[in-house]
Amino acid sequence: MALTGRRPVSENTQCLIALDQAFPVYFVSCYVRPILELNAVTRAYGPRVALDDVSLALEPGELAFLVGPSGAGKTTMLKLINRELRPTSGEVWVDGIAAHTLKTSRVPDLRRRVAVVFQDYKLLPRLTAQENVAFALQVSDLRVSNEEASERALDALDAVGLGDRGESFPSQLSGGQQQRVALARAVVTQPPLLIADEPTGNLDIDTSWEMMDLFADIAASGTAVLIATHNVEIVKRFQRRVLTLVQGRLVRDQPAGRTGRMAWLASS
Amino acid sequence: MAGLLVKGRFPRRHLIQVVASNVFRYLFGGAARSWFRNLGSAAPALSSMTLLLLLAGIVGLTGFALHNIEVVEAGQASLLHVYLRDDAPDAKVNALWDRLAADPRIATVTYTTRAEALARAQRLPGLPALTDATESNPFPASLDARVKSIDDVAAIHNDVRNDNTVDPAYPTSYDQGAYQRIQAVLLGVAVAGFAFLTLLGFVAVTVTINSIRAAIHSRRDEVTIMQLVGAPRWMVRGPFVIEGAITGALSGAVAGLIVFGLTLAAISAGAASFTQFAPGVNVPVAAFAAAIVFATGLGLGSGSSLVSLRKHLES
Repeated sequence: MALTGRRPVSENTQCLIALDQAFPVYFVSCYVRPILELNAVTRAYGPRVALDDVSLALEPGELAFLVGPSGAGKTTMLKLINRELRPTSGEVWVDGIAAHTLKTSRVPDLRRRVAVVFQDYKLLPRLTAQENVAFALQVSDLRVSNEEASERALDALDAVGLGDRGESFPSQLSGGQQQRVALARAVVTQPPLLIADEPTGNLDIDTSWEMMDLFADIAASGTAVLIATHNVEIVKRFQRRVLTLVQGRLVRDQPAGRTGRMAWLASS
Repeated sequence: MAGLLVKGRFPRRHLIQVVASNVFRYLFGGAARSWFRNLGSAAPALSSMTLLLLLAGIVGLTGFALHNIEVVEAGQASLLHVYLRDDAPDAKVNALWDRLAADPRIATVTYTTRAEALARAQRLPGLPALTDATESNPFPASLDARVKSIDDVAAIHNDVRNDNTVDPAYPTSYDQGAYQRIQAVLLGVAVAGFAFLTLLGFVAVTVTINSIRAAIHSRRDEVTIMQLVGAPRWMVRGPFVIEGAITGALSGAVAGLIVFGLTLAAISAGAASFTQFAPGVNVPVAAFAAAIVFATGLGLGSGSSLVSLRKHLES
């Protein structure tokens, strides 16, 4: 059988076309990239290796936890995904975009496909909850009118249970409510990938559960979700895929439904 | 949950209008709001740039006037007045006139009577009072030779100085090295002015860069969020460039208006003598200078912002 062509069908789909000469028939095999794919990624800060030869893939609708002790490389991995950093070697693919070779001028294209939630919410204090969400929507897409931005922002706030707090300023909201606003801002653009860096770090346990339920809902709607966390209880209870990083290496990739031992806790 | 957000009920109408409105709001509105909010840090930039532009405008107009003076001086230096004795016979004067006219180094020769010489002197700055103070006309008649090359003026002076029709006490207007001295003075003034403006420009640009850095610092959360949600680079950087342009434009407008006003005041205060001390500087020239000052302010403000963005705003 002879390979006759290799054609990109879309940004994240590539097809191989082969001809069987015995039976003159074309065979077509297509490969669809996952939403997130890391291939042998290494990132070093000078002599210190923060991430060492890490490979993983995340499919649409999948929710995975990224765990590990402090300094294991969790935040570095999230920054590589969001193209705040470039890998020293290896490939980072996000929704078909090669983040590892992406020019600075094209970074906004990638950022529009990756929503980020932080431990410290990063809300603008001068804007109301609704304006915070609408702001993110409009600056990422100038075609969104004020009316559309307001309605979609309210819908997003409604979806996270804050439909009646749209006019509140961040200072008038609790930590959990602020994190929900941040989550509404992240999902209002309906990105294919959501990454969160210790999203429950500043929240009490009950609020944390509520937040995690929202993340699960988002994943159920088709968005791939990757959450870096220290919260063992949450990881255990949710029974989702767990990626364990220790000293920059991906030491364990447990599929959903099997939490297993948290060996990294010993060094945490 | 996120599925709830897919409403699909927002048809994109009036796209150009919506995009223009958003661009205006986030780019220009954001820049204006931020500029007013950071007026404290923008004030030093505003004042130093206004001072720079004001001095640049004044130095520019002075330079223009000095350049015109140089042109006038060069023209006067190549015009050799051969002063005639009061008792010189007409025939001998005509003979000297013919000799000069036949000289290949000379372009033209004209005759100036004593009365014309007096009238010309009365037009020169400072001389009207002197000429009015005396009853008689102290100025001699002259043959005015326009010399083709300024280098030949000395040789022609030597040719005619001993002619018996020429005033033996003060034979010609030739003043050795006078033109070169004027050129040296003008060059000195130009170099000093340029050095001073360069220094002041460096200070103004540095202060503006710092004020933009302060603006970036005060809006760092907003910038971070814009970068995280994928706002285009021009939209993140644009407001700061416009903020710098606002500072530059305001400085330019104020400095330009002052330059224009000062020139108008000077022209109206001493209309006759002003044209002699600052030849060529008139109302249209002052307006043009004010426009250049404004444009320079706009460019300096925007340029300083760009430099600051490159230094302080990482993507």
